[in-house]
Amino acid sequence: MSVKPILSIKNLKKTYPNGVQALKGVSFDVKKGEFLVVIGLSGSGKSTMLRCINRLHEPTSGNLVFNDGKVEKDLAKIEKPAEIKWLRQNVGMIFQHFNLIPRHSVLSNVLMGKLSKTSTLKSLFGMFSDEDVAEAMKYLKLVGIADKAHIRADQLSGGQQQRVAIARALTQNPQILLADEPVASLDPATCHVVMDYLRKVNQELGITIVCNLHFLSLVRQYATRVVALKGGELVYEGDPKNIDEAWFEKIYGAGAKEVHIN
Amino acid sequence: MKSYVVRRSILDGFTFAFLIASLAVWIINPTDEQALNMRVNVALFAAAFILGTFVSHVLTKLKVTTLGESLFQPPYKKNKEAVAWYKTFSAWQLIVLLVGLMIVSIIKTKFSIYELLNEDGFNGAIRLFKGIGSPNFDILPKAILNIIETIFMAFLATALAIPFAFVLSFVSAKNVMTGKVGFSIYLAMRTLFNIMRSIEALVWAIIFSVWVGIGPFAGMLALMIHSIASLAKQYSEMVETVSEGPIEGVQSCGANKLQTIWYAIVPQVVLPYVSFTVYRWDINVRMATIIGLVGGGGIGTLLVQYQGQAMWPEVGTIIVVIAVVVWAMDQASAYIREALK
Ligand SMILES: Nc1ncnc2c1ncn2[C@@H]1O[C@H](COP(=O)(O)OP(=O)(O)OP(=O)(O)O)[C@@H](O)[C@H]1O
Ligand SMILES: [Mg+2]
Repeated sequence: MSVKPILSIKNLKKTYPNGVQALKGVSFDVKKGEFLVVIGLSGSGKSTMLRCINRLHEPTSGNLVFNDGKVEKDLAKIEKPAEIKWLRQNVGMIFQHFNLIPRHSVLSNVLMGKLSKTSTLKSLFGMFSDEDVAEAMKYLKLVGIADKAHIRADQLSGGQQQRVAIARALTQNPQILLADEPVASLDPATCHVVMDYLRKVNQELGITIVCNLHFLSLVRQYATRVVALKGGELVYEGDPKNIDEAWFEKIYGAGAKEVHIN
Repeated sequence: MKSYVVRRSILDGFTFAFLIASLAVWIINPTDEQALNMRVNVALFAAAFILGTFVSHVLTKLKVTTLGESLFQPPYKKNKEAVAWYKTFSAWQLIVLLVGLMIVSIIKTKFSIYELLNEDGFNGAIRLFKGIGSPNFDILPKAILNIIETIFMAFLATALAIPFAFVLSFVSAKNVMTGKVGFSIYLAMRTLFNIMRSIEALVWAIIFSVWVGIGPFAGMLALMIHSIASLAKQYSEMVETVSEGPIEGVQSCGANKLQTIWYAIVPQVVLPYVSFTVYRWDINVRMATIIGLVGGGGIGTLLVQYQGQAMWPEVGTIIVVIAVVVWAMDQASAYIREALK
């Protein structure tokens, strides 16, 4: 018997209050340990999908069945704050614009990953345990910026900020890491550094990754599997190597040209 | 009905009713008794107002742009062509309205060049200015003691208002109070602040001087209430402009509401908060002076005492002291706010 997918998305729909139908019934599985990349034109619903998975946005309907081998739960159905907390512990996220707290130190930002496991009172006074601090430092080392721990987050370059964001997400000890265009505001060289760290997280820590990307060259390099969205619907699911000319046109529309970055 | 239509109708209806009423008063020249007859007058004014909204509606339908229409119409309806102002209806409506307002207000305020240059009055003013112009610095220590009272009254009012305003600012920010229950609380808080602020600090001072007795404590309480409402409104507007990024970032880590506010919102608003607060203290010093006039203690109370006895040189001293302090506070708060940017 094959292993159950860590996340099974079934007929996921999302209509925003302004009437925009961003997702029109998307279904696919996320396998444990894979580096899944989501591609699609701007506005196809990629960000919406990721935010529905960790419930930053409320899905309108559908199921998000999470199964890590121990617990099985529909993420779309949970309501209670405690359950939301549990979900966020298991599903970390990084963003295009990093979303760090600008005036706080790098370490303090990474410790945010422990907010859900710290009592409210303690966390408001910034009282994180020594183990938490040690763990935060461990992940800062993993992404190679432990020496910047006491610098203000907004003093770092974009690439460094994204690495801090990765460390923050890792500190949550998630099983799935969502990445919403993690390299879209970085230059090509920095972009590979960050993608390499994501691969390291995927391969060394075994964290499943679901990552939105814009550049197909990156997709071929890093993805183990690809899904494509178009107008809120799934139009492709498969191996990145099999995205040929015809598929490309189907996903991005006729006349689109592939841009290469190195 | 669209809200701009309501606004247009009110403005145009009011313009119309105002002109009709002014003309009627001018022609009929009513007696005092007639002028005080609320019921009839309100009914007449309301009738004129309704007629005005109707006229406005008809004119708009005829594609004549009234003042209300040109001011409140949504951007997509705006005329793209440039038309000379004197060819537009709305410009003439505005001119007629302003001229009408001017005439009525001159009559109402009993504006009189004669009174201004009348010899008796003029001599009185000269005596006053002479007195003020030669301040009696013997009372300087007393004045300084009193202005210190005023400054601390303003300081305490500001300081005590900070914690209340800080907490209330999140409860009254739209982006924090999401959901149905949240939105109702938000609306209720906003309304409360608007009511609290629309009652002048001067009125609060009168209320508290009855409650706790005339003196600086009453003045302080009045300023505090006013400051809570003003600061909470300003603070919450800052909260509403914070960037969404850090909020999402912290929420994705599983933060609860309090943690989100503390870690994602507060760092973004502390500097503006400090800046507003310094400015509020500055404003409060000025308001405290005025509040003293109605028994709120401090330099204002001293000022009315001397003014009541026509002791102009003493009044002069107090004016100098107030001017120096207000100027110094103003400068200091401007420099601090500049540095905080
Ligand atoms: N908060 C929102 N409220 C209303 N509509 C939204 C909201 N966020 C996104 N949308 C709409 O939903 C659709 C999908 O947007 P989404 O951001 O998910 O696309 P995307 O694939 O991530 O695009 P991009 O590549 O530009 O990030 C778009 O039409 C967008 O305008
Ligand atoms: Mg997006």
